[in-house]
Amino acid sequence: MRKILRLALVQLRISASSAMAYRLDFFVEGLMSLVWMTLTLLPLVVLYGTRTSVAGWTADEALVIIGYFMLVRAVLEGVVSPSLVELVERIRSGAFDYTLLKPVDAQVLVSTAKFEPWKLFDVLGALALLVYAFVRRGYGPSAVDLALGSLLLVAGVAAMYALWIACAAAAFWVVRLDNLTYLLGAVFDVARWPIQVFRGAWRFVFTFVIPVALMTSYPAMALLGRLGGLRALAVVGCALAMLVASRLLWRVAIRNYTSASS
Amino acid sequence: MIRVANLTKHFRVHERPPGLKAALRSLVSRTYKTVKAVDGLSFEIQRGERVGFLGPNGAGKTTTLKVLAGLLHPTSGDVVVEEHIPFLRKTTFLERITLVMGQKSQLIWDLPPAETYAMNRAIFDVPHAAFAATLAELTELLDLGPLLNKPTRQLSLGERMKCELAAALLHRPTTLFLDEPTIGLDVSMQLAIRQFVRDYNQRHEATVMLTSHYMDDVVALCPRVIVIDRGTLIHDGDLRGLIKQMDPDKRVSFTLPADAREPDALIAKLGTVIERDGPRVTVRVPEREVAGVVGHLFEHHATDLAIEDPPLEEILRVMFKRESPPT
Repeated sequence: MRKILRLALVQLRISASSAMAYRLDFFVEGLMSLVWMTLTLLPLVVLYGTRTSVAGWTADEALVIIGYFMLVRAVLEGVVSPSLVELVERIRSGAFDYTLLKPVDAQVLVSTAKFEPWKLFDVLGALALLVYAFVRRGYGPSAVDLALGSLLLVAGVAAMYALWIACAAAAFWVVRLDNLTYLLGAVFDVARWPIQVFRGAWRFVFTFVIPVALMTSYPAMALLGRLGGLRALAVVGCALAMLVASRLLWRVAIRNYTSASS
Repeated sequence: MIRVANLTKHFRVHERPPGLKAALRSLVSRTYKTVKAVDGLSFEIQRGERVGFLGPNGAGKTTTLKVLAGLLHPTSGDVVVEEHIPFLRKTTFLERITLVMGQKSQLIWDLPPAETYAMNRAIFDVPHAAFAATLAELTELLDLGPLLNKPTRQLSLGERMKCELAAALLHRPTTLFLDEPTIGLDVSMQLAIRQFVRDYNQRHEATVMLTSHYMDDVVALCPRVIVIDRGTLIHDGDLRGLIKQMDPDKRVSFTLPADAREPDALIAKLGTVIERDGPRVTVRVPEREVAGVVGHLFEHHATDLAIEDPPLEEILRVMFKRESPPT
């Protein structure tokens, strides 16, 4: 475990220096971060401009969801997505062979292959937004809610990661993966809305099939004190199950890896 | 040590004739063909040996190396490398081997090689002192000094290959699989890499298995060759022995003086002409007649005399032709 942590740190340092290699990019990306944050808030402003509550969520509570959404998205865009893009590139070029030759689990190597350090700005922005939401509400979360909300944040990130690893495993069979990642990215966008907004089949899909509700709605509810302990436990269980399933899928994929031509 | 017994590796490939109609049909029902990339291969290599691994394109060389390095799962057969079963990819196995592929790169494109080395140090968990010592040795042997801190994308092909080799050897593996390590390099760079591989092999008693399209690499480096074609073994043994067995005749090259009388008649008497470019001639001569031929050439004041074994390329061309099925 210590070795993995140290390795992740080295990869983080290398990604950071890679990012600095293109100096202009660094500033542009930092600026883009701010622009995206503003754009993320825009639909909320429009929606709550005419009403005070949507599907049982007040504007302040909806801000909490957006905060979680931005946190999970920062991890997705800062770590998971770049690594996945790197993986697909390595499989296509055959350089993935070198990944398999390393005495460290390939999933660990792949998952930490690339970082986009400036996504840290997004994390800071999201935390500021969460604080702002509670300030507007007038009172903060209780210690228990804070602990549960943090735990479910980890579970939510894990669920998102599992989904993307499953998608990465598919890369070994189809190689061209761009469309699948675009689709997942588009579906993930749903996570900015409370799950209660959706009805019937869609709610089922977003809770169990592509569980975006796990990533933002439930953690937000936990932080707001609106989720019972039992349901929180179920969310953690689901996230764990997804992790295990994606791990199994990954191992099957590695076994079937045939390596690109010499 | 490497031990391979009855190794086979089959790939199932999807086959379809050209054309849109065939493409559409292949969406519904596909025909598969089994390609036997490696088909019942057996050999053994002792620690510290340098072995050339030869065969025409598609013979199964790279597939075999990938199986030996644990990248591919064999279809059947037993493979043991450094007392491990490669495809299990145990840490203790991966720490002792390396695979260098001339056509693939592990260096980080935007950063200097030193960054890749730092990462490999973390991955292989090499202690700092040992890492510094190895890097110093590799820097000296490969003359990496000026390259270490230049972004990889600014390196020439040859410079990059040297850095690739260093990246692959920082954990001091004792078994080296080198797949076309000199491809695309100029002669002086080829020589440098050859010299380096020999040095490494001697310093660390490392086992080396090398494939190359440049037969000079093999002749210079490998006392032993394993030749395969279409996945099966066709020769395993001493390189000189192979040449003698396939073509015992020598090649005698010389330049005739400008005033030589009736050169055609003279040349015809010496042996079979292989090449003739103005006064420069190469003939094929059975070994026991070489002395007589040389005497004769001296009498006629021929210059620039050279007696050589037939080139390995030629030997292989003959071998692979012979192995081909009658068409």
